[in-house]
Amino acid sequence: MICRLLFIAFVVGYCACIVPFASYLKNRPVAVKLGYVPSAEVLKVAVGDQKLLVSQVAVVKVLVYFGTLVENFNKKIILPPEYLNMYKTLQTAVKLDPYNNDAYYFAQAAFTWEVGRAEEVNLMLDYGMKYRSWDYMLPFFAGFNAAYFLKQYEPASRYMHKAAEISGNPLLANLAARYYYESNKSEPGIQFLEMMEKGARDEKTRDLYRLRRTALQAAQHIQTAVSQFKERNGRLPGRIDELLGQGILKKMPIDPYGGQFYLDNSGTVRTTSKFAFGEHNQ
Amino acid sequence: MNNFRVIFEVTLKSLIRDRLLQVLLACALFIFLVVPALSLFSMRQVQELSVTLSLSAISIILLVLTVILGSSSIWRDIERRYLASVLGLPVSRTSYIMGKFFGIVTFIMVGSILLGLVATVVIALVSSQYPSDIPVRWLYIWAAILMDGFKYVLVAAVALLFSAVSTSFYLPFIATLVVYFCGSASQGVYEYITSDYGKTMSAMTRNLISSIYYLIPNFAAFDFKVQAVYPLAVPFQGLLFTGVYFLIYTGMVLMIAVWVFNRRELA
Repeated sequence: MICRLLFIAFVVGYCACIVPFASYLKNRPVAVKLGYVPSAEVLKVAVGDQKLLVSQVAVVKVLVYFGTLVENFNKKIILPPEYLNMYKTLQTAVKLDPYNNDAYYFAQAAFTWEVGRAEEVNLMLDYGMKYRSWDYMLPFFAGFNAAYFLKQYEPASRYMHKAAEISGNPLLANLAARYYYESNKSEPGIQFLEMMEKGARDEKTRDLYRLRRTALQAAQHIQTAVSQFKERNGRLPGRIDELLGQGILKKMPIDPYGGQFYLDNSGTVRTTSKFAFGEHNQ
Repeated sequence: MNNFRVIFEVTLKSLIRDRLLQVLLACALFIFLVVPALSLFSMRQVQELSVTLSLSAISIILLVLTVILGSSSIWRDIERRYLASVLGLPVSRTSYIMGKFFGIVTFIMVGSILLGLVATVVIALVSSQYPSDIPVRWLYIWAAILMDGFKYVLVAAVALLFSAVSTSFYLPFIATLVVYFCGSASQGVYEYITSDYGKTMSAMTRNLISSIYYLIPNFAAFDFKVQAVYPLAVPFQGLLFTGVYFLIYTGMVLMIAVWVFNRRELA
């Protein structure tokens, strides 16, 4: 009898305290810390055949930590993020599982815009590209970082070239060609577009490549004339008309995007269309 | 041969009836139920995470089952005095050990296949809801599951060897776990000492570690999870080498277990 009464008392007590207890747990102050993750070399040895699982746990740990920071930020509680620790944790994750897409994706999302560490992110993406050879997103991210954040158009064109080759996406091929052009290396861009044009199965896609190639060839043609003008006159031409006037350029090439070619202060050929539809009036 | 079959059948039946194993398998099914929910923690590879979690769950469950079965089977028979009765009959000790081993092996392999079937359903469900850029290669997933099964058969052989030596449950249980963790880590350690980092170590240390590497079972060779999760071609040579290694190493361990058990004093 005493035992029964005692048991009932326990059940009643449990019912009475469980709701406030749960409420306390939900609202208790949480130490927002990412914590320490052992080095990949140690973990590789210690976790045996669970490397993929541990890698994913490390990524989720970073995601939860960053999510808590964002949540606090929305509540006007600003905590300095442990970016270095986050990066190291992600590095550990990709060393354990070099195919882990979440790690690369999160690194791209968190360390470029927020922290401006595009160079470090590209190192991580380079590492990932060695393994995820079928994934066009990694070279696409790296190409975007190189062009947009680092203003390095030559590596950007190489990354985009790779992304376009993997995906077969004409948009990426056009971006690659644009970066080739920006890095004053139109020739590989033209060759690349020719190759993509030949490989395209769809007529519309082929037209798109042809259009971009024609535009680049036109710009390349003018750029060659600019070089000849400089050799002959010892100075850069101010306008394209000067090239026509001296007969170096027989006729003004047409921008298939509908823009007008012009020379910028450094003598580089530009167009008002920016090699895009609908921008020639800007 | 007849004695072997009797011991094998009795072992298998007792394993199927064992409540502890039933509880473990029920826990396994529960783990698989939560895999789809846990997979959603991934941003870009939900399908891949479901494969990772399923294969990890199978591996952990098989580890627990194998270590318990391998470490306790002989010890239980000694504790309950069944062993003395059985060996009082015209049953050779070799038949007894082999019957026990193959009973455990059958249980592990059938368990692997059943868990694999549940994992197949879970992965199919998740991949239909959250398809990935890369396809699910069922052949690779099953190759990983079966190779995991073979790994735990080898672990069971090691556990049986320790059981053949010991009179208690704890020695084979702990010793098997130690061998398992060392065998899983040995490849990483060996690669470390043979790389540039290893040159900083003394030659004696390197030789000692290399000797241990060749001596203990290499469980890392049975790990084909990466190939299963991110469908990468499973190397045929790797499967062949691992298969041959498995047969030779398991055979050696069993022979030592039989030899030790035949020379053991049983009251």
